Amino acid sequence: MLDQLLIFTRGGLILWELGSSLKGSPIDALIRSCLLEERSADAAFHYDAPGAAGGAAYTLKWVFDNDLGLVFVAVYQRIFHLLYVDDLLAAVRREFSRIHDPSRTSYDDFNETFRQLQKEAEARAEEMRKSKQAARVPTAPKKQTSGSGKQRNSGSSGNTSGSGKDESDGDSGKGRWLANGSSNGQGNESKDNSRAPSGFLKGKETGAREVGAFDVNKLQKLRSKGGKKTDAGGVGSKATKAEPKKNVKKNRVWDDSPSESRLDFTNPVDERGEEPLEVVEADRGESMMDKEEIVSSESESEEDEEVENEKPCTKKKGWFSSMFQSIAGNAVLEKSDLKPALKALKDRLMTKNVAEEIAEKLCESVAASLEGKKLGSFTRVSSTVQTAMEEALLRILTPKRSIDILRDVHVAKEHGRPYVVVFVGVNGVGKSTNLAKVAYWLLQHEVSVMLAACDTFRSGAVEQLRTHARRLQIPIFEKGYEKDPAIVAKEAIQEAKSNNSDVVLVDTAGRMQDNEPLMRALSKLINLNNPDLVLFVGEALVGNDAVDQLTKFNQKLADLSTISNARLIDGILLTKFDTIDDKVGAALSMVYVSGAPVMFVGCGQSYTDLKKLNVKSIVKTLLK
Amino acid sequence: MEQLIHRVEEWVRQQPIEQIYVAFAVLIFTISFFGLFRVLRRSKSNTILLAGLSGSGKTVLFYQLRDGSPHLGTVTSMEPNDGTFVLHSELEKNGKLKPVHLIDVPGHSRLRPKLDELLPHSAGVIFVVDSLDFLPNCRAAAEYLYDILTKAIIVKRRIPMLILCNKADKVTAHSKEFIRKQLEKEIDKLRASRSAISTADIANDFTLGIPGETFAFSQCRNKVTVAESSGLTREVSQVEQFIRELVKP
Repeated sequence: MLDQLLIFTRGGLILWELGSSLKGSPIDALIRSCLLEERSADAAFHYDAPGAAGGAAYTLKWVFDNDLGLVFVAVYQRIFHLLYVDDLLAAVRREFSRIHDPSRTSYDDFNETFRQLQKEAEARAEEMRKSKQAARVPTAPKKQTSGSGKQRNSGSSGNTSGSGKDESDGDSGKGRWLANGSSNGQGNESKDNSRAPSGFLKGKETGAREVGAFDVNKLQKLRSKGGKKTDAGGVGSKATKAEPKKNVKKNRVWDDSPSESRLDFTNPVDERGEEPLEVVEADRGESMMDKEEIVSSESESEEDEEVENEKPCTKKKGWFSSMFQSIAGNAVLEKSDLKPALKALKDRLMTKNVAEEIAEKLCESVAASLEGKKLGSFTRVSSTVQTAMEEALLRILTPKRSIDILRDVHVAKEHGRPYVVVFVGVNGVGKSTNLAKVAYWLLQHEVSVMLAACDTFRSGAVEQLRTHARRLQIPIFEKGYEKDPAIVAKEAIQEAKSNNSDVVLVDTAGRMQDNEPLMRALSKLINLNNPDLVLFVGEALVGNDAVDQLTKFNQKLADLSTISNARLIDGILLTKFDTIDDKVGAALSMVYVSGAPVMFVGCGQSYTDLKKLNVKSIVKTLLK
Repeated sequence: MEQLIHRVEEWVRQQPIEQIYVAFAVLIFTISFFGLFRVLRRSKSNTILLAGLSGSGKTVLFYQLRDGSPHLGTVTSMEPNDGTFVLHSELEKNGKLKPVHLIDVPGHSRLRPKLDELLPHSAGVIFVVDSLDFLPNCRAAAEYLYDILTKAIIVKRRIPMLILCNKADKVTAHSKEFIRKQLEKEIDKLRASRSAISTADIANDFTLGIPGETFAFSQCRNKVTVAESSGLTREVSQVEQFIRELVKP
C-alpha cells in the first residue's frame, strides 16, 4: 500500500525508485518545508496535492544515511495507517548501504531485495498488531464511547492544524486525543471510522498551506506531557476569557470598575489650535538600515575546551582509543556520542534566550543529520556538532524570500495601488514606535508614506501617531477612537490611492494571542484589506512565549480567514534589540516557528534606530 | 626550560654573523617564491559553477554533462554536487583532455550562502534559467542574477557568465532573446531601486552598467552571453562550448 519509496542523494539525484507517479510533488515539498527548515527530526510529513479532488493526501516518512549522504523516503496515502513503514525504512537503509557505490547510478537489482524486505516488514507488523489487539480487547469498548463523543466535536470546531507524531501503540493507554476540526470534514470522519478498530483516535490534518509553520499540536503535546489537555475546551468555550463579546462595541472592562463616561477625547478643534507648537522636523540623519555593519572576522576560538571540562565525562570507549580514532578519522558518530555535545549546545542556546522547545527541536534535527556519519580526521565530536549546528542556524535565519521592501513598493507603484503594511503584535512591544521608524526610513528613500491609525482602543494611540506624522510631515488617516479598525483601514487605503501615497502603514492595537474576539477582529482587518505585508512585531526580550505568540497568531489568522489561501505572518520586526546584550535567541525562536524572515530590527528609541538583521553575527553570538 | 633558552642563545651568538644573514635571506626567498607561485596559479582554476533558481534544471544538466543522461530524475538538491570529469560527449575524442571541475550549487534560497563560498575559486558561472516557467519567476531570477553580477569577485576578476535558457525543448518555452530582454528590463528596475539606497548597501558591492542608460548585458565588465539548452534531451552543445572556452586543454 506504499505509493512510492524513493532513495536519493543529498545532492538531488534519484538513485532508486519504486512505485507509481504521485500527484503534485510531495518530495520537493518535503525537502523545502521540512528538511531544509531543520525539522528533520519530525516523525512524518503530511502533504496535500493542490487541486486534487480528494484522496491525494499523502504522508511521508524518511530516514537518513548521513555517512553516504542518502535520504530514504516512503510515501503513502494518509488514510492508511501503515505501521511497518519505520521498520521497512530502517531495513532498506541497512541493505542499501551495503550495495551502495558512489560511482554507480542504477540499482535495478535492488528491486528483488526490496520486495523481500517489504514482505518481512509487513509480516512483522501483522504479528505485532495481533498481539496488541489481544491485550487491548478489554479496554476497547471504553475507548469507543469516548471516541464517538469527541468525534462530534471534531466537525464543529474550525481548527486546522497538522499533527505529525505517529505515536506507537504503546501510548494508547493515555487516551490522549487531539481535537481538530477540519476544513475537509468528510475526510476526518472517514479517517476516524477506519481507525476505530485500533481503539486509538487521532485527527490528522494539515494546515491549508505548507508554509513551514510550526506544528501546534506537537507543541501542545510537548507542553502537556503530564496531564490530559483537551484543547477542545480552548476552541469551543471562551469561558476563561474576561472579555464579553457583545454586538455593540463597548469599551473593554478589565476589572469591575465602572467607567462609562466618554472616552473619546479626540478634539478635532485641537489640531488647528496647536499649530504654533514647535514642530521639530525629524531629520536625524541616515537611518541605520543604510549603514553597513562591520562584522569583525575574528577566528573562532575553540570554546569546546570549557564544554568538555564542565561535564563529567563518562566515556564508554577508553580515552586513548577515542583519541586514536579521532586522529585516524574512522569513528562513526553514534547517538550516544552526540548526546553530551548536543546537550551542552542546547544549554548554551537556552542561556541565549532561545525558547526551550526550539532548542530541543534544533538539537534533534542536527542529531538526525549527523548520526552515522564518519568523523573526519583530527576532528572531535564537539567540533563536528558545532559546525553542523552553525550551518543549521545559518540556514534557518537566511530568509527564503527576498526582503527587499523597496522593490516591492516599486512594483505596487507600477500597478497603481499603495503598498499596505499592517503591524500586529501583543501589547507593548513597540508597534507604534517602530512604525514611525519604518516611515522615517521609507521617507529617506523618496517613498511617500501615509499612516493609518487603526488602534482605536488605547488612549492616546491616535495622538501618538498624529505627533509622529507631524514630525515626519506625512499625512495620517484617523477616525478617532472606538471605531471598527477594519473599516478605518479600508478607508485609509482608499484615501491613499486617491492622494497617491506609495505606502500605507497601518497601526493596530496590541492583543494577546489567546484573546479570541480580538484575534477575530484582527483577522477581519486582514481579510478585508488584503495587505501586502503582515508584519509581526515581537520584542527581543521575550522568552518562551515567542513560540506561543507566533503559533497562535498564525493559527488564528489561518482559521478565521474566509478565503482559502489565508494570509499569514509575512515578516517579523524584532524590537528592543539594544536592551539585550547577547541574548539574541528570540530571533531564532521566532523565525523557526513561523518561517517568516526578520525584516527589520529595532535597536533604540529614536527614528534612526532601525537596522537589518545580520545573520552571521547572530549565529556567532548564539554559539559563543 | 630557561637553561635551554640560554644554551640556544649562546650557540646562536657563536655562529659567524654572515651565516645567519644568509639563512634568513634563503628563508624569505622561499616564502616569497611560494607565495608568488600560489597567486599566479590561482588564476588558472578550472572550476565552473552551475547556479540558478530552484527547479531550473541544474542537477539534470550536471549529470547530463557527466554521464550523458540524468538517470532516474532529480529532486530539490540539499547539497552541492561536485565532480571533476571529462565531459561525457568528449570521451570519444582522442587526445589530451583536461578534466573539468563542475559544481552544481543548490538554488534554494536558504542555501544561497554556499555560492558565496565557492565563487572565489571559479573560472566561470553558468546561470541556468527555466525557459518554460519563466514569467512567474522572472523577478526572483533577475534578483539572483543581479546579486551575482554585483559581487566584488565577479566584477574584479571579470568572471565570464553564461545565461542558459534551459528546457528549450518544450513547445511553450520562451526564446532566449525574449528571456534576455526581460532579464535586462528587470535588472534595470532593480538597479534603480537598489541604488536608491546609499552607498553602504550591505548586499550589493557594485552598481551595474552605465547609469542613465537602460541596462544591457553588454555593459557588464565581465563577459555575459546567452544560450539555449535542454537538459533532458541532451542538447548541451552550447554549454560545452562555453566550458571548453574557459578550460582550455
